[in-house]
Amino acid sequence: MSTRAPAPVATPARDVLRHVAIAGNPNCGKSTIFNALTGLRQKVGNYPGVTVEKKTGRFFGSHGEAMELLDLPGSYSLQVRSPDEAVSRDVLLGRLPGTPRPDVIICVVDASNLERNLYLVAQMLELQIPVVVALNMVDVAEKNGIVIDLMALREKLGVPVIPMVGTKGVGFIELRQAVSRSPLPHPPICAQMPIVLEREVMALAKQLPVAPEVARGEALLLLTLHDQALDEVAHHERAIIDATKTAQQRLRTAGIDPLSAPVDARYDWIGEVCAAAHHSGGDHHALSISDRLDGWLTHRVWGWVAFLGIMVLMFFCIFTVAQYPMDWIKDGAAALSKWVTGHMPDSDLRGLLTDGIIAGVGGVVVFLPQILILYFFLGILEDTGYMARAAFIMDRLMSKVGLHGKSFIPMLSSLACAIPGIMASRTVENRKDRLVTILVAPLMSCSARIPVYTLMIAVLIPSHSALQKAGIMLSMYLLGLVAAAGMAWLFKRKLLRGETPMLLLEMPPYRLPSWRGVLLRMWERAGLFLRRAGTIILALSILLWALATFPKPDKADATPSEALAQSFAGRMGHAIEPVIAPLGYDWKIGIGLIGSFAAREVFVGTMSIVYSVENKDEENIEPLRDTMIAEKRADGRPVFTPLVCIGLMVFYVLAMQCISTVAIVRRETNSWRWPLFQIAYMTALAWIGAFIVFQGGKLLGFQ
Amino acid sequence: MNPLVDQLAVGAIIAGALGFFVLRILRKRAGGKSCGSDCGCGTTKIAKPLK
Repeated sequence: MSTRAPAPVATPARDVLRHVAIAGNPNCGKSTIFNALTGLRQKVGNYPGVTVEKKTGRFFGSHGEAMELLDLPGSYSLQVRSPDEAVSRDVLLGRLPGTPRPDVIICVVDASNLERNLYLVAQMLELQIPVVVALNMVDVAEKNGIVIDLMALREKLGVPVIPMVGTKGVGFIELRQAVSRSPLPHPPICAQMPIVLEREVMALAKQLPVAPEVARGEALLLLTLHDQALDEVAHHERAIIDATKTAQQRLRTAGIDPLSAPVDARYDWIGEVCAAAHHSGGDHHALSISDRLDGWLTHRVWGWVAFLGIMVLMFFCIFTVAQYPMDWIKDGAAALSKWVTGHMPDSDLRGLLTDGIIAGVGGVVVFLPQILILYFFLGILEDTGYMARAAFIMDRLMSKVGLHGKSFIPMLSSLACAIPGIMASRTVENRKDRLVTILVAPLMSCSARIPVYTLMIAVLIPSHSALQKAGIMLSMYLLGLVAAAGMAWLFKRKLLRGETPMLLLEMPPYRLPSWRGVLLRMWERAGLFLRRAGTIILALSILLWALATFPKPDKADATPSEALAQSFAGRMGHAIEPVIAPLGYDWKIGIGLIGSFAAREVFVGTMSIVYSVENKDEENIEPLRDTMIAEKRADGRPVFTPLVCIGLMVFYVLAMQCISTVAIVRRETNSWRWPLFQIAYMTALAWIGAFIVFQGGKLLGFQ
Repeated sequence: MNPLVDQLAVGAIIAGALGFFVLRILRKRAGGKSCGSDCGCGTTKIAKPLK
């Protein structure tokens, strides 16, 4: 009998020497450091709450040893208030199943705001995990006249402190070296708690079923929770909660407030550290450029003027600058279609290539330049720090509907895509407010609506100026904002009642945008859009062409219009015609609505396929816009009247029509109830909106 | 073009498009936690979340 030693199984976890977590206050540069160390492209921005979920990457220490790096959402303290902050706390305390407790914490500290950032450092040091402090943005601190005595700071904290400028690559070698040190010393406990409190903490720590290193930190966190929060603790047994309450009672009898005493002790310690290591020169009372700009950009009137001005400029550029590359793409698609027609005999395959694939995919890809310009502007707004100002001026409107300005950041993010917007709602502390934010965020016009708006505006006012077209597009965006505010008001009154919270939002200093970062994001978006066009939209275009072509008509001499009417798509369009007829839509628009149920932008591709299939016998292929302008009903009236065009835009402002958003709402709410409710209310709202436009307009004498 | 070749080619392309969606659904089910879109939010494309 032969025996063989079991072959060693290589697992990725064994390759990793250390698990390193990056933690710190919001907007202190954690993701910038994460990206620089790992080479990944995690989203960064100059406003709090960009990272709402833990992200991992791998990097190598100064001796080539592999380490797993964990980027955590920003948090001001371990006493959490929102779901994203809870992720950080749970990872650091080793509470998250499947995520190992970090071996080292890189605590990123904003050097220009040392005092506030040190509170989280104090709590990190209490966790008894080796800490390396990355003192980021030292250049900004210097510019503000702040002098930090590094030697004194290192001595007071008892851990390595690395001065850094994350955006310029300064300090990364030293940071790698500090993290690679072996063995890493455990930090000393800095903030001295009152003796009575310390005794209760240690007694409670002994009872906790957690690792001995985290027991003290965990016990401190429990003791500083108020009664209601304690009752909501789910990760400890009832006996622990009762023991905590009893300990709190004993502390109160001894004249110590368990909720505020640890906070006071930490601030006393921070005071000592700052007295020794932090010196701010210059005139504190002089207004900085950021303050002066804020005087205008967050002004009650001028703030709104600036906001609307930025939006008008953005849409103006969307209609003017994008026009040239759009024409090139359009001409390219037309030339390709002509070439295929000239080189292939008349057949179904030729129809599929020209009327299905080229018309469907080309019809959507043509809008890529406009979408990239939108991302260019949003990138600049995010990098400069304007997002937080927009949230501030919106707080007045949002508080009237029962939400606060923080809910506006997810809504602003939804201008790009509702999915990151909905994920950004994790920064909203209150559960009901978060749910309301998720429910209304898809009402904000995302980039996928741009193709629909542009097409309908082109049909509505083909020869008007770019400024007028930009004005109509802006009004659609504002309609989305008003609808979101209105629905939030309704939900807060009827469905998810609660008090209007106060807005506490950090205003980041204005910074020049990172052009490389903005261009990189545009490049990534272009790649994602083209990948989507080459996969989902291509596959959908093929299927829509098949639905618009088969079954073939019984009569051999049937016209293309009759053939389309008898196809599966035609039958589906006719089936929903009674529902959409009150909106002024015919069955062909019905096909577009059905085709775009999964993704809004497919509406343009679908209409392109429908009219291409219908006009396939014509020699000259007209642009979709001209075909739609010329489209007539049976009685000779035009189909796309101004009311129909506006009604269609309103429909797409308010309708859900995005399967990816449904999936993310399901994940974020952990139930099918809310996404189904969202589809139902948004579809009903869209129908009512389009009905009011069409029927109301007719009553007022418009066409 | 030979009508049979024409029909076979069209049929194959349509079957491919259908297969694409079926595979996509199956892959998503097997993938577990994922953002489920190409939005660029970073959940699956840029840096994967921990399992």
